[in-house]
Amino acid sequence: MENYNEIKINFEKFITTFKTDVNDLEFRKKSFANFISKGFPVSRDENWKYSPLVQDLKKFSQLNYKKSGANILPNALMENFEHYSIIFADGVLILTDSNDAGLVIKKNNSFLKSVKKAGENPILNLNNAFADQGYLIEVSSNISLTKPIVIYNYYSKNFLSNFCSSKNFILLNEKSNVVVYEKTIYDSSIEYLITSNTEIFLAKGSKLKKYDLNCNNKHSTIFNFVKANLDENSELEYFTFSENINSCRDESIINLNGKNCFADVNAIQLLSNNCDHEIKLQINHNEEHTRSSQFVKSALYDSANAIFQGKIFVDSKAQKTDGYQLSKALLLSDNVKFFAKPELEIYADDVKCSHGSSSGSVDEESIFYLRSRGISKEDAKMMMINGFLGEVIEKITEDKFKNIFFKKLSHNYNDD
Amino acid sequence: MIDIKNLRASVDDKEILKGLNLKIGKGEVHAIMGPNGSGKSTLSYVLSGKEGYNVSGEIQFNKKNLLELNAEERAREGIFLAFQYPIEIPGVFTNNFLRTSLNSVRKANGKVELNAIDFLKIIKEKAKELNIGEEMLLRPLNVGFSGGEKKRNEILQMSLLEPSFVVMDETDSGLDIDALKIVSNGVNSLRDPERSFLIITHYQRLLNYIKPDFVHVLSEGKIVKTGDWKLALDLEDQGYGQFIN
Repeated sequence: MENYNEIKINFEKFITTFKTDVNDLEFRKKSFANFISKGFPVSRDENWKYSPLVQDLKKFSQLNYKKSGANILPNALMENFEHYSIIFADGVLILTDSNDAGLVIKKNNSFLKSVKKAGENPILNLNNAFADQGYLIEVSSNISLTKPIVIYNYYSKNFLSNFCSSKNFILLNEKSNVVVYEKTIYDSSIEYLITSNTEIFLAKGSKLKKYDLNCNNKHSTIFNFVKANLDENSELEYFTFSENINSCRDESIINLNGKNCFADVNAIQLLSNNCDHEIKLQINHNEEHTRSSQFVKSALYDSANAIFQGKIFVDSKAQKTDGYQLSKALLLSDNVKFFAKPELEIYADDVKCSHGSSSGSVDEESIFYLRSRGISKEDAKMMMINGFLGEVIEKITEDKFKNIFFKKLSHNYNDD
Repeated sequence: MIDIKNLRASVDDKEILKGLNLKIGKGEVHAIMGPNGSGKSTLSYVLSGKEGYNVSGEIQFNKKNLLELNAEERAREGIFLAFQYPIEIPGVFTNNFLRTSLNSVRKANGKVELNAIDFLKIIKEKAKELNIGEEMLLRPLNVGFSGGEKKRNEILQMSLLEPSFVVMDETDSGLDIDALKIVSNGVNSLRDPERSFLIITHYQRLLNYIKPDFVHVLSEGKIVKTGDWKLALDLEDQGYGQFIN
C-alpha cells in the first residue's frame, strides 16, 4: 500500500479553508475516505489495466491544490465567432454570469443531490473530495441557443500549482438545444494533475452537441470524466479530438434512461512520439427503444500508445436496443501500440448490437492508386490518414465545428 | 513515344514478364490480348511504376528511362493507368483528390496550380461529357460507386490529366453495353496524334468501339504474335490455344 500521508495532510488543509455547506463537506470527506481505502488505481484492476494513469499518478505524492498563475486568458486565444465563454485560467474559473433569456451560466461549488454518490472510481473520488472550481450551465425549456458555449481550459507559463479539480454541470430542460465546444491550451511546462468531472442531464426532447479539442498537453496528467443521463427523445452528440495527448484518460458513462433517446459518441486519437491516450466509454441502455453509436479512429506514429475500451450494456428491460461500436486504428510505425477492448453485456433478448475493431497500416494499393495520379508518396499517405480520420469528423452535424476540426486535420497535413 | 526492350519482371522469384519487346509510336493505339496469367496486368503495373516487382530491361519514354522514375514521376511525365479495379478510398473526396492530382501534375510541368473555382469550372464540364453527376464528385473516391461509375471516373481522370500515354487495364471488364459505349466514346474523344494508347483486354468486344492500329498477343510474359485489328477477330473466333505452347 502506498503512503498517502502527504495527500491526507493536503486534504485536511483543504477542507478547513474551503467554504462549503455541511452536507457537501460530509460528501467530500466520504469521497476522500473512499479514495484512501483503495488509493490510486493499479493495473490489477481490470478497469485500469491498460491505463497510462496507473504509472503516471505515482508522480503525485502530494497535491498542491492552491492555484497560482496568470489567471487570465490571452485575447489571441479566444475564438473569433460569437459565443458565450467559460474560462478556466490556471485552474481558476473566470465567469461573467450570463443573463440571456433562457440561459444560466454560473459558478457552482455545491453538489447536486442526485449525484452525491461516492463511487468505486478512485480518481473520481479524489475529484469529488477536492473539486473547488466548477460551472453550471442550465438551458430553459424550448430554448435553442443560437450561439455556442465555449469552455476554455488554459494553463499558462506562470502556472504553479500541481493539481486542478473541477466539477461541472450541464442541465438541458425539455426541448432545449445547445452546442458546447471545449478546448484546452497547455502552455505550462511543469508536471500537474488535472481532474475534471462533468455531469450532464438531458431532459425530454433536448439535444446537446459537445465537441472537445485536446492537444499537446506536455507534462500534465489528465483524467476527464463525463457522465450523461438521457431522458426520452433526447440526444447527445459527443465528439473528442485528442492530438498528441500524453498520460490522459477520457472516461464517459452514458445512461440512456428514456425511450427513443440517442447517444452518438465519436472520437479521434492522433498521437505521435511517446503519447499515451486512453478512451474508456460505457453506454448503458437502461430503457427500451434506445440507440447508441460509438465510432473511434486512431492514427498512431512513432512510439505512441492508444487505448480504447468501449462497452455497450443492455439492461434486461431494454428491448429493441440498437447499439453500435466500431474502432479502427492506423499503425504508422513498428513501435506503436493499440489496445482495443470492445465489450457487449446484454441481458435483453430482442436487441441489435454490434461491435468491431481493426488495426493495420495504410493500404499500399490505395497509396499506389494516388501516386499513379501524380500525387507524391508523402502526400498520398497524408491524404489517406486524413481521409481515415476525416470520416469521424464527417459525423459532426454543426458545419462551423466540422470546419474547425477539418482545419485542425489539414494543419496536421501542412505540418508534415 | 515508348520503346520497351527485353522487359522482365518477377515477384518473389516468379518471373511473370519474360523479355517483352514493344514499340508504340505517337498517336498509335495498340491492343494487348492474352489469356489469364499471361502477364497483362503486371505489364500495366510495371509501366506505371508499382513497387514490389523486380524489373530489368529498358523502357524508353520520350527519351527518358522510365524505370528510373517512381509512380508519381511517371504520372507527371504523362503516363496514365486506367485501373481494372479502381480503388475505393473512404474519407478522400473525389473532388479534392482530382484537384490534388491535377495540381501535382501541373506543378511538376511548370504550370500554375488551379484554385478551387477554376478547377470546378473545368471538372464540371468534363464530368458532364462523361455523364458523371456532380453529386458523384462530392462522394468519397470510388466508395459505393457502381462498376460503370468507377470506370467513368477513370476516364474523367484521364481527360483531366491529359496524359500522352494511356494504359487501359481491362477497362471493359464489368461494364454493360451502355457503360461500355460511354467509356469508349470518352476514350475516342481523347484520341489525338500526340497521345498513344495501350489497351489491355480479354475480349475483342471493346475493340469494336475503340479500333486499334495494332493487336498483340501476350502469352507467358512475351508478345508472341502481332497483327492489325483483324487479329482480334481471329482470337475471338479461335481462342488463344494456337499461340500457347
